[in-house]
Amino acid sequence: MTSHLRISRDNSPAIHRGWSAAARTAATAALLVWLTAVILPPLAGPAPASELASRMLQPLRPLVGALFLGHGYRFFAPNPGPGHSLLWTMTMPDGSIRSGRIPDAATDRPRLLYHRRFMVSEKIAALVPPADAPADVQERAKRDWQPLVKGVAMNLLRREGGLSVRIDTVEHYLPDPAEVISAAVTSDAVSPLGTYAWSEGSAP
Amino acid sequence: MRMNHPGPDRSESTTGSAEAALDGGWCRGWVAAWNSFWFTPADPLPLAVIRIATGLILAWSCLVWLLDADAFFGDRGWMAPDQVWRMNDQPWQWSWYFKASSPTMIRVGAGVGLAAAILLTVGLATPLSAVVSLAGLVSAANRAPLNVFGLDDTLGLLLIGLVVGPSGSCLSLDRLLGGAGQGRAEEATPSVRANVALRMIQVHLCVVYFFSGAGKLLGASWWEGTALWGAIANDLYRTLDLRSLAGHPLVINALTLATLFWELAYPALVWPRLTRRLFLAMAVAVHLGIGVAMGMMEFGLAMITANLAFAPAAAIRRWLWPLSLRRTSDSSTPSGTSPGFS
Repeated sequence: MTSHLRISRDNSPAIHRGWSAAARTAATAALLVWLTAVILPPLAGPAPASELASRMLQPLRPLVGALFLGHGYRFFAPNPGPGHSLLWTMTMPDGSIRSGRIPDAATDRPRLLYHRRFMVSEKIAALVPPADAPADVQERAKRDWQPLVKGVAMNLLRREGGLSVRIDTVEHYLPDPAEVISAAVTSDAVSPLGTYAWSEGSAP
Repeated sequence: MRMNHPGPDRSESTTGSAEAALDGGWCRGWVAAWNSFWFTPADPLPLAVIRIATGLILAWSCLVWLLDADAFFGDRGWMAPDQVWRMNDQPWQWSWYFKASSPTMIRVGAGVGLAAAILLTVGLATPLSAVVSLAGLVSAANRAPLNVFGLDDTLGLLLIGLVVGPSGSCLSLDRLLGGAGQGRAEEATPSVRANVALRMIQVHLCVVYFFSGAGKLLGASWWEGTALWGAIANDLYRTLDLRSLAGHPLVINALTLATLFWELAYPALVWPRLTRRLFLAMAVAVHLGIGVAMGMMEFGLAMITANLAFAPAAAIRRWLWPLSLRRTSDSSTPSGTSPGFS
């Protein structure tokens, strides 16, 4: 099989026209490091992931981090799931209530801005376990998602000038084809993520 | 039709040399193949086209960052700086926004990224603008991990290639300002660096498709042929309503399986000349489809730009200058090959 590959002789003029053997050796070493830094991250995560790849990745973390190479590349995998948004309801200083959603296709324009905000709700929702998950799982997960939701809340309070904000995550029901054909009425699942107010020393 | 630029006696000499290399031993064969793959001089024209497309997409992305810069990069944005470690690998995932202590500094940082992207597009001070563009992209992505997605991964992939290769050696202001004696703007001397850069983009793209396809094999909906419906029915992505396909499950099945097969097979079948056109055409169709139907046009265009690394220089030259190519003789075009395989 290898004999079918069309390759040039190592010492062919085409190759030598460019780089010396020493330069090629140095470049080869650099390319192998780069190649390893490209291949290992998707093997090392997200789950299911290889422990071996994760360990091999450790010495390359500076390079992977510096060049923004740490990706899993699992687009729409393993299955395209339902989308998620965040609903927010804010109490303003005059007592009025203001509400909105993240993302909001009506106001988040251009579309790239919408997608950048959409990622906020998707990444936070990915950390929130289903409502029927065991209590210890819920508690562990909360330690991961709550600081992120708090950041979202502070950003909203800063932007809108409110006193406190309640945030819910909405899982948009993904209808199957039969439900679309029959125009079945479906409802989205809403999970509360808490109410947040300016903490002491962090007023707007 | 040949897709590679017909380099001097490439086919005959390379086949013979492979056998010669094999005669010298299996290891020498590998070394010869490696050297041929990476270190054969290549026409930099595809890299220049990639530079322009990447620069335009990156400039647009920088403008969008600037539209809500305080939310993306500020102390009270979507993610406070002291929380970034939760989503990325600190301290390695550096960002110049970590040093930005005021809204003005944030805008200066974003402005530098935008300026570099514009300079990259027009090809002025290209080596420096490519480095600063990459630094700007990495800074933004590492500071705002809640807001990044596949577009940023792809722009990173492209910019690394543009930092490595001589992307400003043609179709650039650098070329124009370099003197009239250098020939036409679209011509440049074939170089090993151009080949290395294009190969890096090609290989990285194959890694992306491989893991994207392999990840899908974990999902039942991809095996069942229903996965595409999941994208069609998701109202948060939808920019083109294709729900009328609900009555055509076999169409959804065919499209799902075709997408899965294309993605899985891409790393192998984009290299042979026989199948390359088909796989590149499918790449354009899939990514434009995602762009139009799911509203991710920037991501789609960035992926198509990465696929340009597989387009032969001669074909690009034909697309860009359909008339001038006919006027010129073979001797006036660069003699380097485009980095294909067989």
